[in-house]
Amino acid sequence: MKHIATTPSIGIVANPASGRDIRRLTSKALVFPTVEKINMIERLLGAFGAVGVEHVLMMPDMVGIAAGLIRAIDGHRAQGLQPWPVVDFVPMPLTDSPRDTQEAVRQMRAAGVAVIVVLGGDGTHRIVAGECGDIPLATLSSGTNNAFPDLREPTLTGLAAGLVATGAVPVSEAARRNKLLRVRGSKVDEIALVDVCVTRQMHLGARAVWDPSTIAELFVTFAEPDAIGLSSIAAMLEPVGRDVPRGSWVRCATSGLGVLAPIAPGLVTPVGIDEHGLLAPGQSMQIRTEQGCIALDGEREIELNGHQTYSVTLELDGPLSLDVPATLAAAVRRGAMVRDLIRSAAP
Amino acid sequence: MTKTLTREDLLKAYRTMRTIREFEERLHTDFATGEIPGFVHLYAGEEASATGVCMNLTADDHIASTHRGHGHCIAKGVDPVGMMAEIWGKKTGTCKGKGGSMHIADLSVGMLGANGIVGGGGPLVCGTALAAKLRNQPFVSVCFFGDGASNQGTIFEAMNLASVWNLPVIFLAENNGYAEATSSKFSVACDNIADRASAFGMPGITVDGFDFFAVYEAAGAAIDRARKGGGPSLVEVKLSRYYGHFEGDQQTYRAPGEVQAIRDTKDCLLQFARRVTSSGEITQAELDAIDADVKALIDGSVVKAKSDPKPTEADLLTDVYVSY
Repeated sequence: MKHIATTPSIGIVANPASGRDIRRLTSKALVFPTVEKINMIERLLGAFGAVGVEHVLMMPDMVGIAAGLIRAIDGHRAQGLQPWPVVDFVPMPLTDSPRDTQEAVRQMRAAGVAVIVVLGGDGTHRIVAGECGDIPLATLSSGTNNAFPDLREPTLTGLAAGLVATGAVPVSEAARRNKLLRVRGSKVDEIALVDVCVTRQMHLGARAVWDPSTIAELFVTFAEPDAIGLSSIAAMLEPVGRDVPRGSWVRCATSGLGVLAPIAPGLVTPVGIDEHGLLAPGQSMQIRTEQGCIALDGEREIELNGHQTYSVTLELDGPLSLDVPATLAAAVRRGAMVRDLIRSAAP
Repeated sequence: MTKTLTREDLLKAYRTMRTIREFEERLHTDFATGEIPGFVHLYAGEEASATGVCMNLTADDHIASTHRGHGHCIAKGVDPVGMMAEIWGKKTGTCKGKGGSMHIADLSVGMLGANGIVGGGGPLVCGTALAAKLRNQPFVSVCFFGDGASNQGTIFEAMNLASVWNLPVIFLAENNGYAEATSSKFSVACDNIADRASAFGMPGITVDGFDFFAVYEAAGAAIDRARKGGGPSLVEVKLSRYYGHFEGDQQTYRAPGEVQAIRDTKDCLLQFARRVTSSGEITQAELDAIDADVKALIDGSVVKAKSDPKPTEADLLTDVYVSY
């Protein structure tokens, strides 16, 4: 990929598969259609164009986001509206799998984008985080069951990303460092941004963890009582902030005392607790369950067959992500949102 | 609640998928000889879908199938020996040799029929589901249809009706990427068929159709929901067919190596075998024994079909109409 960092540029990764998993059947999670993802990107482009972003590098896909966006760009141009940045698609073969996201982010990094906007769930952000290095992520939830990305109007996220990409707000004022959990086995080295959940379900199956009765162990980087998803189980025992240097762990029980946790949209359920505690940075804990699956950020990824051991370690040097309210506040302090209307209106 | 698959369940799932594969591979070979009448549309490559769905059903539940229906029939419990005779046009066939590949039906196991009308199954399952609901019976109906049928008005009307009447129906979209020779990327406006569910007020999900466990779990959740009165849902299964739209289709619309790459990396039988042997649930020897059993069954079905009698002139006017 040609280096394009001479102009303010932003990468966009929109996961075509997000918002369609089994939780639409097992909870009240909504279907997140392709057209809504395209509309979110249009809102991003409007914000980018307004603050001077000239170039966007977009991940292509096989299910119509890219195709819909091309139609939207043509329509926008035909109407003579406020210009959007030039949008190029990453030149890459598609596999219709998470490998597409990895390859797109690698090429965006090589091209020198200043920020990567991610539309997806916790799992999508996990895959991007594995490849993005220190490029800050502007996070957007395209679903209803996520803790890591913001559930926010994309125009505002686009403004924040654009202000950082154009240098109006420095990364040091806009971004925060996230924690991560590292899962290691003899042939495994994976990360999670929010939670590592060990289930007693034997196979990867439909991927999402949706049945609380199957949860055996849980490790989290942060646990906020107002967050939805598996991390809420830990949050209801002892909240752990996103910016504090510790995580927590829980071992679940099928009887005895438990906590009431909002593990999915519309699904608030009691989860039995055996024991729990805090996780210090660098502290490594063994996974005790022998038969089942390890889920990373809510999706089953590793099948346990009893022949291998796995550990979970909390690390503090996870990806950078934009704090949108802090970024926009910094922009206002710096006068970056002031425009000369007469000059702006001139042809 | 998650249903746990027992060893017997796993063996049954493998046997069903292997039976469908062997049946279709054999038809692929035999159809080329010109002895089999009519058309056949093979289901090879899509076995995890029919099997993953039907393992969640009982004989009292109904399914409506498509022109690519052999896999659905076998998974729902139709006898493969009778099916083979039916496709060969013999009197001993499931429908006495009068239906052929696209009209195999066996109501004794809840199989409403393969169907030559694209999108024809939707209204049928609304009928069986309404009957179950009015009789207060806990039975569900599944409508299998393809990406081509997803654009048909019958499917939209059936989804609307099922939603309005809160019927126990699962709309099971098998998106194999091609409606005959037209790519779904060109012909399906919303690309993800599951997206259409929200327009009818029902949940829609997408699932990997090469993975039996994924289909089994997702279809199980949809069927469980419908059985308990939760209403209809749409499950989109993404998969691929290994052969043409029909036997003889030159498939010039597919990239060279496309099918082989899928066979090598995603094949549902390979994935299943690797998973259950790796977990220690099933041994390779057990799977090999099933392979041998199934091969003998299909070989025998072909020998029998070839030697069985054809319908006679006297059979022409029998079973044409049903008197109530």
